[in-house]
Amino acid sequence: MKKILFSLLLVAPICAWAQQSIPLTDLSAFDQPSKNWTIEQAVFSNYSDTAFQVSPGQGVLVNTLRGGKYHRSDDLKSKMQHGDIRLLVDFMLPKGMNSGIYLQGRYEVQLFDSWGKKTVKYNDCGGIYERWDESRGKGNEGYEGYAPRQNASKAPGLWQTLEIDFQAPRFDANGRKTANAIFKKVILNGVLVQENIEVSGMTRGAIFDKEAPFGPILIQGDHGPIAFRNLRYETYEKPTASLGEVSYDYYTGKFTDPIIPTTSPAKSGKIPALTYRVIPVNNDYLIHYKAELSIPEDDNYEFQTYWTGSGELKIDGKVLNNGAHWFNEMVPASTFLKAGKHQLEIIHIKDFPWGPKALGLNVKRIGSRLVSLHERTSLLDPDAVGLIEVKANAEPVLQRSFAFHLGKKKTHVIQVGDPAGIHYSYDLKQGAILQVWRGKFLDATQMWDNRGEPQTSEPLGLNVVQDGKFPLVLAHQVQPDSTELVYKGYRLEAGRPVFMYDWTAAKLWVEDRIQPAGNGLRRTLSLVGASPQKSDVEAVLATGHHLSLLQNGLASQPGNFIEWKGAAAELLKMPAGAQQIRVPFSGAQFTFDLIW
Amino acid sequence: MKKYTAFLLLFSMALGAFAQTKPTPKKEQDYYEIKTLPIPKEIYLEVGGLATMPDGRLAVSTRRGEIWIVENPYQKTSHQTYYRRFASGLHEVLGLAYKDGAFYCSQRGELTKISDTDRDGVADLYEPIYTFDLSGNYHEYTYGPVIDKNGDMWVSLNLAWVGFGEGKFAKWRGWFVKITPDGKLEPFAGGLRSPAGYSFNDEGDLFYGENQGDWVGSGRVTHLAKADFAGNPGGLKWAKEPNSPLKLSLEEIQDNGSPMFEAAKKNPKIKLPAVWFPHAIMGISTSDILQDTTKGKFSPFPGQYFVADQGQSKVMRMGLEKVNGVYQGFAINYREGFQSGILRERFGLDGSMFVGMTSRGWGSTGKDEYGLQRLFWNGNMPFEIDMIKAKSDGFEFSFTQPVDVNSVKKAASYAIRSYIYKYQHQYGSPIIELKDLKIKGVEVSADRKKVRISIDGIRQFFIHEFTLKGVLNEKGEPLLHETAYYTLNEIPKGPALVAAAPQDEIHVKVTEVKVVSKGLGYELAISNLLKKHTCSACHAKDSKLVGPAFTEIAKRNYSNQQILDLVYKPRPENWPDFATEMAPMSHVPKADVLKIAGWINGLREKEGLKNRD
Repeated sequence: MKKILFSLLLVAPICAWAQQSIPLTDLSAFDQPSKNWTIEQAVFSNYSDTAFQVSPGQGVLVNTLRGGKYHRSDDLKSKMQHGDIRLLVDFMLPKGMNSGIYLQGRYEVQLFDSWGKKTVKYNDCGGIYERWDESRGKGNEGYEGYAPRQNASKAPGLWQTLEIDFQAPRFDANGRKTANAIFKKVILNGVLVQENIEVSGMTRGAIFDKEAPFGPILIQGDHGPIAFRNLRYETYEKPTASLGEVSYDYYTGKFTDPIIPTTSPAKSGKIPALTYRVIPVNNDYLIHYKAELSIPEDDNYEFQTYWTGSGELKIDGKVLNNGAHWFNEMVPASTFLKAGKHQLEIIHIKDFPWGPKALGLNVKRIGSRLVSLHERTSLLDPDAVGLIEVKANAEPVLQRSFAFHLGKKKTHVIQVGDPAGIHYSYDLKQGAILQVWRGKFLDATQMWDNRGEPQTSEPLGLNVVQDGKFPLVLAHQVQPDSTELVYKGYRLEAGRPVFMYDWTAAKLWVEDRIQPAGNGLRRTLSLVGASPQKSDVEAVLATGHHLSLLQNGLASQPGNFIEWKGAAAELLKMPAGAQQIRVPFSGAQFTFDLIW
Repeated sequence: MKKYTAFLLLFSMALGAFAQTKPTPKKEQDYYEIKTLPIPKEIYLEVGGLATMPDGRLAVSTRRGEIWIVENPYQKTSHQTYYRRFASGLHEVLGLAYKDGAFYCSQRGELTKISDTDRDGVADLYEPIYTFDLSGNYHEYTYGPVIDKNGDMWVSLNLAWVGFGEGKFAKWRGWFVKITPDGKLEPFAGGLRSPAGYSFNDEGDLFYGENQGDWVGSGRVTHLAKADFAGNPGGLKWAKEPNSPLKLSLEEIQDNGSPMFEAAKKNPKIKLPAVWFPHAIMGISTSDILQDTTKGKFSPFPGQYFVADQGQSKVMRMGLEKVNGVYQGFAINYREGFQSGILRERFGLDGSMFVGMTSRGWGSTGKDEYGLQRLFWNGNMPFEIDMIKAKSDGFEFSFTQPVDVNSVKKAASYAIRSYIYKYQHQYGSPIIELKDLKIKGVEVSADRKKVRISIDGIRQFFIHEFTLKGVLNEKGEPLLHETAYYTLNEIPKGPALVAAAPQDEIHVKVTEVKVVSKGLGYELAISNLLKKHTCSACHAKDSKLVGPAFTEIAKRNYSNQQILDLVYKPRPENWPDFATEMAPMSHVPKADVLKIAGWINGLREKEGLKNRD
């Protein structure tokens, strides 16, 4: 009904900046590790185990009880000392376990087996631990502490991810603290659980008695077994790029491409910083900015541009990116630059009247925080849109929408939320689970705010992506990317859907029931009808790398456990080193659980 | 006690004031009344579909994927309604029908049958009748179904929007399709852009409302027969499919900005609209269309059509005739002032019309985000144009009441002109080829309810705009709606009018409030001008509607002349926060615009005074 030039695609590129890593080939990165800490190749654990099975090798840091008791001296301290830091790590806890990561040895993000807890506190996984002061009197020693926004904990025995963006406290020349430490972000298993939380001082169990600009990473090892891998970090001590005075040539007219016209500009000038605000009209212009870019050291630099309309970014005459965008779309482009002076140019046009003018340019170098090279007011804030949340607190809730799955927009998707706090997305065309999650149910903002352009909904909790394929195959046949199915609708049983399909190749009617069971989802596939193929059906439980058959009826894949009763699984070899777990049907029904 | 006295005092003052003024001119609400159905606060009733149920209940489907059954929707025994959630979890239900105990609805990607098999009042079976292709673009709306008398279901498929309307990403986008109850799809007609509303008339002919946009110069209603092409080529990729009844490609369509009828002369597959709804005057986003089949219950105009508009929150009236086998006719305002943007119209069992609304991201004159109202005729007969028929040399008007013969014989009682729009890939169109027309002769029927006029230079295919500003009934009252827009697709054969020329230019003294002091009379005069020229459809004095508030415009410090220039040639880039661009209003007389401009600038002066206090 109305024109909008650009569909507002979800542009949320995960920053793929390489970090420094602490190699887990040996323990040399750590300061006097206790003998409980070892380097292994892999660890395994059932979700009900309280200890790991270990296979020897390299890559995984493991804490195992070797003496009779854990002690505070079993804490592991990095040799690396840090101030501001972004830390990324995978961890695995056995059942009931407790650990923590102390930034600078002083400020703790709690690691804990909080799996399945309905409510969480500061001492649950992803919490910022409480502070402690004996002088407050018996029973009142603990104070502050910050609960995570929601429980984003996975089952024990699964690898979990943690990202912490930490800003160290600041001190003046006399060593007096001028600013508190801040947890800028804590992201647990992909869920933002803390943002911009300022801690007034050291949390309980800090290994120092004073705050300071630097300190080591400390991993708590005094409660029991825990394993870590992929320990990476980025600190921010390097100088980064800067921009000198900006000169510009401004042309009026209808320009469709960012090509500098041969006519003379309507106006030229110099400005102290890059801004669109020298453009007096709203559209039908071309502006050409030039400025000297100072590069402090040879390195790769990522430039991020924002504009409404079209544009082109050039450094030393080389085009880094160009294209038509909306102002809230970040467009990254990386290049290697030698230390010294370079010429940066931006050509920008807007040849339509709607939408706000905007121009932004950021630069990012590993080892330095993201810096804006534009004048602050040249880039607008995104619209202040409040969350539209779909809750499933009282009864099962269904909601169809578009949904992204492995980078692709799927159009015939239903989300099913359950008061048990266990939810999933389901592809109605393929009879396939796309993702499963726990916690809050659904973010429908992109679907119901304004015109709802992306028309997608997103999980609001801890999400585990599944392969999105129909799980049944005829024995010995390859599982296709998409199975020929005729979707026949769903009926509700006690408010929960039973999905129905006509499985063409097998000449069978298939019913698919998915419901919460314990801390996961139980899926029951039933074959209805009398087809000769009925006794020839197998369920594909998982495909990919890093699959493990832990015991009869229990397997794991990255992200979740799969548990079933009945026949033994077959582990097939797939191309490119992948594997597939299959279980033959016995009878007309097969049930398995997804646990995460 | 004190309050009570004060109230009495005020009341008697009001009475006194009333006694001294002339009877107020008749208003739409004196005849066509609107009742509002209350909506529980926790329900986000962005209406997509309405279905009247034979048991006296009303079903409402919403953008948020719910179907609500409203009990007591006619508000007979009490004003309160009761909402029962019948279904939920659907994907943007923009159409709903009820048949034989089940609901049929469109979701974005599916035509779905929904049943309550255990009869507990809540649906428990959701079955696809047909699964539609989707690319994932937000603008691929699916509307319907409308169920025909054979039980087949009709669905219209909106184009995607990627800076222009595009149908190639997903099959049958930009088409009307017919789907049998067992799920067989038959493409029927193409060339649709944004077909939000459609219905069959009592002869079984299909009409749909189209929105201004690319290839659509202005809103319109088109009659579609099988294999017709309605004008937007976005979905023509699918004309190559073996089961397409329409064979046409983009290359066969002229795109040079000349009117659509020129393109249709070269390629008769292009179907011209039955009636144009001039953009910004007769709506900005044509939505539903419904023929009055209530045999005189709903309106004084049985058999005519009621066309809704989302942006202007109003219901317009359309009268059709068939000339040389082609549908054509006129559009005229009927009732404005609904609470939100109208998407759906359905008749209730009592002949009233349920009106379902949502404005979403488009904005509408009615300021609520959504709403549900009922429109009905209270039985009083307004003085209105009943029908307009084309004649070989002009038009014949019929009226709901006998006219004052003197008034219709004056040339000055009429302002007539004709114009058309461009047909082009660009969005929208200005009015082009505008021509003022003169009356040659007038003839009044014996019962004084019909007036035939002959005109110099009627033009086939053009919109003929009539402003019957001097036509009065026998009581000396003016028409409730004086302006109508007739689309002259065909000129009938027949004898020319042999009648006396209209009486000389004896100007009827049109009661115009003189601007002496800037008091109440002035405000009233301006408010009438704003209404007359449809400014108030998009602007209000103090609040943001489709366009900015007049007080905001005042803050821009334009001169009166600058305002005039901007009214004639708007610069939407001056108002980047508004989703809908203003249409050029160059048809509004200069003197009127300048009066309005002066008033707008006066708002700033008052603002200044207020600030000094």
